[in-house]
Amino acid sequence: MNEAMRKPVSNREAVGRKSMVQELADLTTVVLAPMDDQTTLLLRELQRYRMRVQQVWPMPTTVPGEADVVFCEYCPDLARRLPWIPGDARSALVVIVPASEPIQAESLSHATPNAVLPRPFTPNAVLSSLVLARSQFGYERRLRSKIEKLDENLRSMRTVERAKAILMATRQMPETEAYSFIRRQAMDRRVSASAVAAAIVDSFELLGYDPQH
Amino acid sequence: MSNSLRRTTAPWRIGVLFSRTGFMSVIEETQYQGTLLAIEEINAAGGVCGRELVPVSYDPGSDSAAYGHYAKRLMIEDEVSTIFGCYTSSSRKAVLPVVERLNGLLWYPTLYEGFEASPNVIYTGASPNQNSLALCRYLMDNYGSRFYFVGSDYIYPRESNRVMREVLKANGGSVVGERYVSVHARWQDFLPIVQDIRRIRPDVIFSTVVGEATIFLYQAYANVGLDPRKMPIASLTTTEAEIAAMGFDVGEGHITAASYFQGVEGEANDSFVNRFKKRFGGDVSTNMCVEASYFQLHLFAKALEQANTLDTEILRAMVMGTTFDAPQGAVTVNPNTAHADLWTRIGRANGDGQFDVISQSREAVHADPFLIGYGRATAQAGNTL
Repeated sequence: MNEAMRKPVSNREAVGRKSMVQELADLTTVVLAPMDDQTTLLLRELQRYRMRVQQVWPMPTTVPGEADVVFCEYCPDLARRLPWIPGDARSALVVIVPASEPIQAESLSHATPNAVLPRPFTPNAVLSSLVLARSQFGYERRLRSKIEKLDENLRSMRTVERAKAILMATRQMPETEAYSFIRRQAMDRRVSASAVAAAIVDSFELLGYDPQH
Repeated sequence: MSNSLRRTTAPWRIGVLFSRTGFMSVIEETQYQGTLLAIEEINAAGGVCGRELVPVSYDPGSDSAAYGHYAKRLMIEDEVSTIFGCYTSSSRKAVLPVVERLNGLLWYPTLYEGFEASPNVIYTGASPNQNSLALCRYLMDNYGSRFYFVGSDYIYPRESNRVMREVLKANGGSVVGERYVSVHARWQDFLPIVQDIRRIRPDVIFSTVVGEATIFLYQAYANVGLDPRKMPIASLTTTEAEIAAMGFDVGEGHITAASYFQGVEGEANDSFVNRFKKRFGGDVSTNMCVEASYFQLHLFAKALEQANTLDTEILRAMVMGTTFDAPQGAVTVNPNTAHADLWTRIGRANGDGQFDVISQSREAVHADPFLIGYGRATAQAGNTL
């Protein structure tokens, strides 16, 4: 049991961040479901979290793509109605699953939902699906951006290596000093180390300097 | 139940995504033909595990975003999990999120800029260490060290030039000009560029212009009377298909680095060229993209024979390390990178629209898409030859 887990949930000030429920306020959500008692409950719960809710029915050919969270009734061709390609979703997606009508596993999987909400709805089930969808969607997006940054870093490492070699040769700097020179310049100029490295490499190229000779 | 599963004769459905219309169709049509030829051969020989291969094919019309949408359609509506296709890096990057999210497998038969390794892609075209390094060394040894870069304005040319610039600098060369044109460029867009080239007089023009625009670059070069013997256009992307489209006389004397040319010697290639001509007509030529599209289908069939399932996890595991006697020579999918180990060759276009192979590696060169083995040793760039 670590410290964090013992902290009282109500003491948000001490934690220094919004609670999960507070984070829901002002998020936009679209509910694609026919208006009935169940949907009324769902909308009421979402409004209780101060989310901005829009209900749409009948099911449009293309699901609106601008909301933070989309609650959408299951249908076999749901994936085709989504406005994005898989792997590039713009909203967290909760698929509403019927109580007894059979569904197809492939259709559900192809829609790549972040959570499901089975009928009949309960307040706990609504909150659970919301929390799960938001956290899974956010996590996936963070992983994707991490991979993009890793790719970028891989490229810039080569530039930094070349800039380091230039500094070592022209300024007789030892390796560690060359690295810290690049880092210091980056901090002073408030740009990335790779931008500084690229500037060094470019300017020496302009002057016709060749680190290998 | 297991008995009926084993005996099924239902076909294997596979996706095919090449642009047969639009500005990329010059080359992608040939990739489509290479794919088709291999499928027909595999089926004629009884299919894979007694089951026929059936392609589900779409034409994205040279629009990168359309590749993403068709990949979605293939995987979701057509229930296909293995896709063969893409020429440009932009189109590959449009398909990537789809195959990664739905766990499909894209077979990509085109040279590209490297620096990628997705668990959902098998790369069968050349990486920079399999073409750029050797080309740079050859050009510097034979023509000089002042390079002028011309490219189409998208990911591949910019990234490819970044690598070439690095290799060039490490070998004591320099970039004396760098110009980019739209992928939709027409002939008049190249006029200021060839004028600039005439003024600057580089030793070599390094072109990463792709598609139809390639033809206009070479034609503009010929029109101002530049001489390929003294200042050739060197390319990684100009194949027999582009040479045929620009005219044999226009292409003659220019240089391309590739794993494969129709002029490669050997029985495997002679037979491949014959079968290709028999199927698509005597006047069409094979090229590196036809060949990669062709052999990757055979690599796939070989792995599928072992896996007996299109399940991505199992199939991919079977593909790793698989070797095939391709028209270019034996090729292997490198299990470290999922890129194919390919041959390195330099060709010079002759008066018949073919490339004379003027230099080649002794064996297949290991794919090194992240140029890990070349961090400081770029000076030895040419030693694979």
